[in-house]
Amino acid sequence: MSAVLSLKGATIRFGGLVAVNDVTFDIEKGDLFGLIGPNGAGKTTCFNLITGVYRPTSGEIFFNEKLINGLAPNRICAMGIARTFQNIRLFQALTVLENVVIGGFLRHKASLASALAYLPPAITETSRLEREAMDLLEVLDLADVAQTRSADLPYGKQRRLEIARAMATQPELLLLDEPAAGMNPNEKEDLAQTVRLIRDQFGKTILLIEHDMKFVMGICEKIVVLDHGEEIAYGPPSAIRNDPKVIEAYLGEAV
Amino acid sequence: MNWGVRAVSIVAAVGFCFLIQTVSLGFGADIQRLIALAGLYVTLAVSLNLINGITGQFSIGHAAFYMIGAYTTGYLSIQFLKNSGMPGPVWLLLMMLAGAIMASLAGLVVGLPSLRLKGDYLAIVTLGFGEIVRIIVVNSPFDVSFFGVFKFFTFPNLGGAYALDKIPAIRELWLIWLLAVVCIAVCRNLLKTAHGLAFLSVREDEVASLAMGVNVTRIKVTAFMIGSAFAGAAGALLAHYETSILPSTFAMDVSFIILTMVVLGGTGSITGSALAAITLFALPEVLRRNKEPVTGGTFLAIVIGVIAAVVLIRWFQNEYHGSKNKKTAGYFASVAASAIVAFGLTFALNAIPALHDKAFEGSKLRMVIFAGSLIIVMLIRPEGVFAHHEFSWTWLKKVLRIKPKSEALAT
Repeated sequence: MSAVLSLKGATIRFGGLVAVNDVTFDIEKGDLFGLIGPNGAGKTTCFNLITGVYRPTSGEIFFNEKLINGLAPNRICAMGIARTFQNIRLFQALTVLENVVIGGFLRHKASLASALAYLPPAITETSRLEREAMDLLEVLDLADVAQTRSADLPYGKQRRLEIARAMATQPELLLLDEPAAGMNPNEKEDLAQTVRLIRDQFGKTILLIEHDMKFVMGICEKIVVLDHGEEIAYGPPSAIRNDPKVIEAYLGEAV
Repeated sequence: MNWGVRAVSIVAAVGFCFLIQTVSLGFGADIQRLIALAGLYVTLAVSLNLINGITGQFSIGHAAFYMIGAYTTGYLSIQFLKNSGMPGPVWLLLMMLAGAIMASLAGLVVGLPSLRLKGDYLAIVTLGFGEIVRIIVVNSPFDVSFFGVFKFFTFPNLGGAYALDKIPAIRELWLIWLLAVVCIAVCRNLLKTAHGLAFLSVREDEVASLAMGVNVTRIKVTAFMIGSAFAGAAGALLAHYETSILPSTFAMDVSFIILTMVVLGGTGSITGSALAAITLFALPEVLRRNKEPVTGGTFLAIVIGVIAAVVLIRWFQNEYHGSKNKKTAGYFASVAASAIVAFGLTFALNAIPALHDKAFEGSKLRMVIFAGSLIIVMLIRPEGVFAHHEFSWTWLKKVLRIKPKSEALAT
């Protein structure tokens, strides 16, 4: 079976700093894949490489066997990779519903001219996107706040809205950057269920970055561990848990 | 969509334009000209709002697009109108199109650097662009050559620093206001659809828009092109209304006035931009007509009253924690109290001979009042008068707190 996403020796240097060094892993269809590592390990940089924010200095990134190195982020999103942001980046002045509609905008079929004249193609497309967005909000339990300004949402809901917005692009692969950051244990449990639901019901492949070990170990089936930009371990949670290199990276060298 | 309502509103809009024309014919030529210019400023402010408020690209070179439209079509009319044998209004429509096309091509050129620049940096580029356009016109005619070696062509004579005059006069007031109405309608339509949300998303967060698959490049360039097309069409109308245009008509300060209209009305609000355009354009013109002498004492009393009102309102805004109604009452009370103080002070201060004998002509104070009112609005309401709100009947009801009764009655 071919991989949905595969990184082959992906490397990026910023001047003298090698932020991500020779990282290689494959994500199969339907995987719930974790990317972990201590602070500054290069996890988010890795996301930025995959989503086209940065262009890798060397190495290759394939999405469904197509090379996506250095494509514009919007092109990559259109191919089927959507992401959330570690530091929440919602469209703050817009409502929850509007945020999700923008996620679906790349599937709109009406021309700009018909929008400027407010003609039926644009009207029906807009209401179709709104309906789809509403359905997604139902699934993610945000329907009751659809008309609220996204900046006014409580933190946990903002995180969920980020996921809803990314889901609205109807991606094949969903990248979640620290979805559980700042959540309390109850919210984390809810989130874990949501993530599983997205994978099982919507058939998405998920790659997530997370600091919370319990969360990652409980939810992910395969994990890559980064430290100082280097890939130090790759395998199922049980193997990662006992890997001496991982323990060293997190807890420091054994005395 | 309700086609009936739509047809009625289109008819009403066109009717409104003709009404303005009919009403203004009752006034003298100077008032007519002001009504025409006000319509053009509405177009300019609303079209800049599309670039600046809705798409979030900080542009302060809007007068350049206005200028391109005016000079292009003025030149074309001088050259070709006589021989074309077309009726005035048809030719004017054609010229509006020509002005719009030229200006939107210029918008494309300015839109491209905006792909790499943001905020202040983009503002400087657009400012520079505005000056470049003006200086090209001031220096016309000139030869375009490669270091004086190969001469490509001669840039046409656009009157240089003097006026481009003898433009055939085609004065269609209704067309000027129709352009304003169309500009408002286009922006409003855009915001009602998913396309509009994409424009707003670029303003809100470019990185996130890109990650959501929004083609940010395309949206920025489109915004510049649409916005400048309207400014270009307005320029065409101006050229044929004034019959003589000067580079200084389109100097930097015009760009700033248009920008002020957008910011003061509430960045992103079409209603705000349109109303601020009319108000800010009318304010100095109305004040200009005031020939009454104002004594030093009265002036000082009014200044003190205004400062007192601003201070009190700011206090109610920031320090007073009461219900919304009480706050609103507080604002009115502040204004009333300051007015009474100012009124009292008028008598007291005018009793001082030095203040009483020094008098200004009212019209001379117009720019002071203009500048002062801008400062006051920005102090009391920095988000602009309308903030991000738009006028709609539901919004009006919400503001006036009228509960929708019609639903209960209908069922």
